[in-house]
Amino acid sequence: MTNVARTGQTLLIVASSMLFAAFTSAMVVRRATGTDWIAPSVPVWLWAAALLAIAASCLVAKKFYRSAALCGFALVASQIACAASLRMGDVAQSFAAVLVTAHAAHALFGACALWWKGERASLFWHFAGALWLYVLWLIGVWA
Amino acid sequence: MTIFSTDHKVIGKQYIGLSLFAVLIGMALSLAMRYHLVHPDAKVRLFQMLWPDGAPGGQMTPELYLSLMTMHGTIMVFFVLTTAPQSGFGNYFLPLQIGAHDMAFPVLNMLSFWTTTLSFLVLMAAFVVEGGAPLSGWTAYPPLSALGKIAGPGQGLGQDLWVLSIALFCVASLMAAINFIATIIELRAPGVGYFDMPLTAWAWFVTALISLFAFAVLLAGGILLLLDRMAGTSFFIPGGLVVSDQIQARSGGSPILFQHLFWFFGHPEVYIAILPGMGVISTVLSVFSGKKVFGYRAMAYAMLAIGGLGFLVWGHHMFISGMSPYSSVAFSVLTLAIGVPSAIKTFNWIATLWGGRIRFKAAMLYALGFVSLFITGGVTGLVLGQPGLDLYFHDTYFVVAHFHLIMGVAAIFAIFAALHYWFPLLYGRFLNETLGKIHFYGTFVGVYAVFVPLHFAGIAGNPRRYPDFKEYEFLKSLMPLHVGVTHAAYSLAAIQLLFLFNYFWSQRKGKLADKNPWGAATREWNHD
Repeated sequence: MTNVARTGQTLLIVASSMLFAAFTSAMVVRRATGTDWIAPSVPVWLWAAALLAIAASCLVAKKFYRSAALCGFALVASQIACAASLRMGDVAQSFAAVLVTAHAAHALFGACALWWKGERASLFWHFAGALWLYVLWLIGVWA
Repeated sequence: MTIFSTDHKVIGKQYIGLSLFAVLIGMALSLAMRYHLVHPDAKVRLFQMLWPDGAPGGQMTPELYLSLMTMHGTIMVFFVLTTAPQSGFGNYFLPLQIGAHDMAFPVLNMLSFWTTTLSFLVLMAAFVVEGGAPLSGWTAYPPLSALGKIAGPGQGLGQDLWVLSIALFCVASLMAAINFIATIIELRAPGVGYFDMPLTAWAWFVTALISLFAFAVLLAGGILLLLDRMAGTSFFIPGGLVVSDQIQARSGGSPILFQHLFWFFGHPEVYIAILPGMGVISTVLSVFSGKKVFGYRAMAYAMLAIGGLGFLVWGHHMFISGMSPYSSVAFSVLTLAIGVPSAIKTFNWIATLWGGRIRFKAAMLYALGFVSLFITGGVTGLVLGQPGLDLYFHDTYFVVAHFHLIMGVAAIFAIFAALHYWFPLLYGRFLNETLGKIHFYGTFVGVYAVFVPLHFAGIAGNPRRYPDFKEYEFLKSLMPLHVGVTHAAYSLAAIQLLFLFNYFWSQRKGKLADKNPWGAATREWNHD
């Protein structure tokens, strides 16, 4: 990977981190200020989907980029199914839906990039995997 | 040349063209507002033609006034002040100044411009959809902005389009920020260190860093706002809210939460608008004084300090939101601290002039005008940064006058300075100097004639966003002041026609320029 590509990806990661930091801070404040917060229950299979993200990162490390991308697409499908099942009228579930969907957009971008660009997208994919573990912790444990 | 060019020079000119078009619309809207303020009962056929629902019989409704205000602010802040100084001039000149062949990601650069254009078109579409443009101001505070059609005309599809437009603009600005930072980090020519870059490049660098951190947060706020409007969520809409005799089926949302997200972006946005101007002014003052910039490193560090501190002061926009007095003090101290790097820059500009062989070309006059406006607007910022005073001044014309001088007009003066200075590189010709100087003096007097009296209106307690002053006894005595301001605004707008003529005429008929006509030392003048 060239220095320019690596720097570009790093900056993209910074921007994405700010987006999720903003969602997180909104979630923290909203939970503290409202009286209507009911902890969302995360489907068990969504936890299992974390394995897909980890598996994809392992495959990237082994340079099996297209296999990793397929794991990524499977992760996105599970995330979309999860987001569709959440009730937007419930504040905690709506935050979960926002975070899962926002991550799905990142994972889709990362998986497509892995499919077509291979190694050049590896840094972003590792970030997307770590970000998914964070999102799962946020909505599944903290919330 | 194709309009989908990936060449940084073409894209830079495209951004400048988009901003020029946007500023004309924004200015026209402000004139319509000023006209309405002094003739609230007037029936104007043009208003009826343009906005049949908002001006039945030609008389502007309060809702139309508020929608014009919203669109004026949005167009000016995003598509003029954010777009021209950074993306316009930055795209064209940054690669030339640091010895790069182009921006780091040319295709991303092209995508960024066209996403900005799409964002502008989506915003303009708000004028023509049912209900018209939104009423909630450029800050789009909920619950007004979050409720939908029930909140008033323009709060339906018009507000949806507004939020969508801003979200697109955020994406475009993030793409641009990534491109600028990557270009500066990776594509500097051999031998060009960070402290070998001109201060313009430093300004674009710091501005891009601010954009990278700020626009992502606004994007998050915009997404949550859109979901409140379209998906029935309760992020910002409080429970038990009654609108038009209907209880809103939402629970526990916090409008203040949106304000935090918005101003975490909104205050750095001030520096996104002004920092590129600071870079240009440093260069112009140096070139036309025949001296190096005084305290080059201090100037670069001052910009970094302004950019960093800018993220810690958003609370000063929310002093009256009920925040803890301890938080207010913290935000106030940090706000006043920004005065230190700002003063460093101002004193260094004066020191750059000191003892120089000053050439009073039009570009130089605009640079001096910028320094004047920066000081005037900055001093009132210190007033507003104090919670005790802000309690009184909040949402008065004092605030309007302050931010127009520091963020709006000062940045516009920097754009004028940049156009006069770089016109030979952009078009191979000079802008006409005589017309430029007449335009400068008219504009300089005009902006002070408009905005100084508005400070006094604010001190007298004149609230902003009121469409009809004669409805309020305590505002009637201020009408003569507003009549004067409105006439000054007409004159100010008229003198801009002179600039427009000069800009287009000089592209074809202006005096041909030599390779480095101002005797500048930066790389762009030696580029073939």
